[in-house]
Amino acid sequence: MSIGLPRMFSLHASLLGLFLFGAPAAGATDAPSGPTLVRTYCSGCHLEHGGSFERISSIRKSPEGWVMTLFRMHQVHGLALPEDAHDGIVRYLADTQGLAPSESAAGRFALERRPNARDLDLGPDLAAMCGRCHSLARVALQRRDADDWLKHMHFHVGQFPSLEYQASARDRPWWTIATTELPAKLGSLFPLNSAAWTAWSQGAHRELMGSWVVVGHEPGGRDLYGTAEINTDGHGGYTARYRLSDTRGGTVGGESHAIVYTGYEWRGRGELGGRASREVFAVSEDGSRISGRWFDPDHEERGGDWTAVRADAAPQVLAVLPRSMKAGSSGPITIVATGLPAGPELSLGAGTTVRITSVEAASVHAAVEVATDAAAGARAVTIGRASAAGQFAIYQHIDKVDVTPGFAIARVGGGKTAAVTAQFEATASTHDAAGKLVELGPFTADWSTKPFDAEAARTHDETFGGAIEPGGRYMPAGAGLNPVRDYSGNNTANLKVLARVHDGDVAVEGDSHLIVTVQRWVTTPIY
Amino acid sequence: MSELKPTNKKAELLLKSAAEGQVDEVVAMDSVAGCATTFDPGWEVDAFGGVASLCQPMEADLYGCSDPCWWPAQVPDTLNTYPNWTDGKPSAQNDWRELDAVFPKK
Repeated sequence: MSIGLPRMFSLHASLLGLFLFGAPAAGATDAPSGPTLVRTYCSGCHLEHGGSFERISSIRKSPEGWVMTLFRMHQVHGLALPEDAHDGIVRYLADTQGLAPSESAAGRFALERRPNARDLDLGPDLAAMCGRCHSLARVALQRRDADDWLKHMHFHVGQFPSLEYQASARDRPWWTIATTELPAKLGSLFPLNSAAWTAWSQGAHRELMGSWVVVGHEPGGRDLYGTAEINTDGHGGYTARYRLSDTRGGTVGGESHAIVYTGYEWRGRGELGGRASREVFAVSEDGSRISGRWFDPDHEERGGDWTAVRADAAPQVLAVLPRSMKAGSSGPITIVATGLPAGPELSLGAGTTVRITSVEAASVHAAVEVATDAAAGARAVTIGRASAAGQFAIYQHIDKVDVTPGFAIARVGGGKTAAVTAQFEATASTHDAAGKLVELGPFTADWSTKPFDAEAARTHDETFGGAIEPGGRYMPAGAGLNPVRDYSGNNTANLKVLARVHDGDVAVEGDSHLIVTVQRWVTTPIY
Repeated sequence: MSELKPTNKKAELLLKSAAEGQVDEVVAMDSVAGCATTFDPGWEVDAFGGVASLCQPMEADLYGCSDPCWWPAQVPDTLNTYPNWTDGKPSAQNDWRELDAVFPKK
């Protein structure tokens, strides 16, 4: 239903998602101010009272939350925005009605589009009322007072009238709960005003220009390390140029253009190693670190962890690659660190012999020999004036293999919805002399699947669901009806995923649970 | 429950699951962010933590989900939010390849 807002401009919906990830800003100096944009495009419905706009001024959200709101205004209420106005409104609202870093911390996995993340535990009442349809992170990434949370309940039942069936209405007085207990609880858990937001919104935040040291890890794949040069784009955003090395060999270049919302929410779009990438990073409160996740825009489940630290930061070890070595073995190792002196000395602790082979701006490469009788356990790594515990370990034998994620969803694909793959990773551990389990990092593995239970065996799920690749990525089969399955069913599957890690003549096995299921068509930025 | 007898396979599974104490497993899967698993059945996972009791093939009932706004976080509801989602695609069984994701990507 249209609410009669004048269609002053037109904008195709496919453009609406561009802005969050650093589309080039147009004529920043001539751009209308945020309040002017809200007044122009929103106040036809959201009346202005003394500089505040009904509903709008009662809410704080993440940048993605504001994008979702504007999309709903477009989709449901017919709002049409030109590109630069949309960008300006999202930026203004995220900057002035955003979330403090501490407020977005718990739900960052949703902003980062992390696949197979375990949702927040906000208690059984909110799980039943909100978490039966969407993530509870979506709830936790908003701030309102109780009276606006109540309006949020009314909005839901108006927009989704069959909600009461899905809210367990047969089993409990759901509307009473939705309009009394829960608004009060949400207003208490996630209030509009907070000391954290007051402090953050009034504070000054460091500019990000300069040289940074980067480490990245792509689950099941590669480790990256190198440098990033960050500059301003002249329009209030940033450009980043990456020069990275892949531990499997070769170099990876890349660049991105980013907007930093709310003083810390880095949203970049660019390419990495010739592949399009999107970046959802957070700048630490002191401006010294940028961390988060990058991903493929066409397959958001594919991506990796990312950390960047200012190159002139105090000496610190960012990564040790690989994270472990076996007693009696020898091989190369790379230490990524800041504050490296000329001619650094490297120590990997008792039982190791180290010979530095080359030194770069933020990394040291060395040949390492581990004594046959080296004790199993964690080792402190010292390079120059930097040292780190918990980033390197020696093992005599692998005692345990864990497969992450422990539970995964893959989706069949076809037509206009791409398949959603599931990436698994095998992580090994060993016991040290004290019997403590010490993590050894990711290992290559032989991957296989088998039916999860007797029903999955009976319906030949392993045959129909898809296949797992040598690198631990499960590729689901095609979508649609399969006439050779019972009832022409889809290629869904309930599988156990097995990883066999070889340690000399011994193989140690770990497993995970994979559900191959049907596609989804609602692909909001916050699941 | 002792007064009731299962009359189909799904109901038998339900009784069997309850007897085997599988409730905890289902609760664990319910916590995978972004997945609806607790309806009867869930969109991604059935009430038993598997896929055997999902609506199959999904296309047979897809428009029965979009019309009354079932699983609105997974399936576009044509009741209010995306009234034109199925326009020109009268048969989910034949036309599912033409159905668009509703939120613009990138």
